Amino acid sequence: MSNDGRQEGDAVAVERLLVPLSDTVTVRQTVGYAVQSGLEAADSLECHLVVAMPYDADVPQSDRYSDDADGLLSRAQNWAEEDAGGADVTIETTTLGADEYLFGPRDYAESFDAYADEHGIDRVVLDPEYQPGVTAQMLQPLERELDRIGLAYDEAPVDRPARRGRLNGGPEGFDRQFATFLISYGFYLLLGDPSYWFDLVTGAAVAGIVAISLAQVTFTVPPDRVQSPLRVVRFALYIPYLLWEIVKANIAVSAVILRPSMPIEPTLTRVNSRVRSGLPLTALANSITLTPGTLTVRANNQQLLVHTLIPGARDDLFDGGLERGIRFVFYGRKSAAIASPRERDDAEIVGGDEL
Amino acid sequence: MIETLRFWVIVALLGLGVLFTFVSTVGVIRLPDVYSRAHTASQTDTLGAGFALAGVAVAFGWQHAAVYTVLLLFFVFITNPTAAHAISRSAAETGVEPVLAEEGEDGAETAGNADTDGESR
Repeated sequence: MSNDGRQEGDAVAVERLLVPLSDTVTVRQTVGYAVQSGLEAADSLECHLVVAMPYDADVPQSDRYSDDADGLLSRAQNWAEEDAGGADVTIETTTLGADEYLFGPRDYAESFDAYADEHGIDRVVLDPEYQPGVTAQMLQPLERELDRIGLAYDEAPVDRPARRGRLNGGPEGFDRQFATFLISYGFYLLLGDPSYWFDLVTGAAVAGIVAISLAQVTFTVPPDRVQSPLRVVRFALYIPYLLWEIVKANIAVSAVILRPSMPIEPTLTRVNSRVRSGLPLTALANSITLTPGTLTVRANNQQLLVHTLIPGARDDLFDGGLERGIRFVFYGRKSAAIASPRERDDAEIVGGDEL
Repeated sequence: MIETLRFWVIVALLGLGVLFTFVSTVGVIRLPDVYSRAHTASQTDTLGAGFALAGVAVAFGWQHAAVYTVLLLFFVFITNPTAAHAISRSAAETGVEPVLAEEGEDGAETAGNADTDGESR
């Protein structure tokens, strides 16, 4: 709230955006869109990232909410700075509603409006999944209230996991459909008999229907013609390594459980992984959970909260063998050779209040 | 000769499967909280089911049905961590406090463990 002096600087074209944030799957894309569209509209951008505190902000858990809000704001600030590159972007972050009682969409809209008046906001960029606090989704009522108040808003065009896509999307669409067709046809023949003409024909028909109707859902990122088959091959190489790790970990955990003294040492650790969100991160988190002794409790972007049962499993986790394996699968052999989470200071033991 | 060998391989694989399932059961009973139990519950799926299905595959021999067991294992390996994660995550969301070890002589090699002492018990 320290930028009151900036409002007279209207000689230079400055776009001022208000971006209400909440912890959704699309918040990252919303910030990206806000920065991009703001820079398209004007040379320099003032991006106000705000978190509106939920209506129950004065109950005892309010500390936790404000911690969450601070965490989200600092992450969002990093994203915005990342997206801005070298462009002229000023980022302000604040929380709204800490001293008032925001209940319904109208309260939120009025709170945004007050903030907008105060800071000369041109436009509000809304996350389509916007959902402050524990209340139900409220994009539509919020948009209605903003219309009523007369505050300009814009809904960020984001890719949602369950988005309904177009059936034909050019070469990318073809790649998706072709890959889906191959996968489902292969699976059908694996279950059926590849040498029987009836299975070949029905399989082709079924795979065709699946490819046309589900290709958009199957691939959130279009497959790459060279890289994707390579990844499948490398994944096949990764499986024996994973199995070996599972066997080792199983024996270690079994030994601990069967020992009468049961020398377990449960800890909660946080590991910042160096793999992309989405499929690679899912594969990593699943591999970690699959090896007994380590269990992924939370995954926030690249940050994994892992519960470890025995020190040996924790050391393996901090040595990052599985992470290297996943990097090998998705990015190739060169990227696999990175420092372990322990060496690059991305692994730490945290307390139970981190949950 | 080959048949007796195969028989004993099957018995050994099934025995290992039963062993790990047993260990996992013991673990679920002995371990203190839901998080540590989730670790050992996944043992049943990984090695317990793994060895048992390997035994089944050997029993089938070189025929199409053996492919199904491999597929079965593949899906178990995908669904097991998903379920374990879902259980532990929902435990975390509903505020189940994990039983944590006291920060002792071990684990001192990593930075940032200073903030754990107040919370662990």
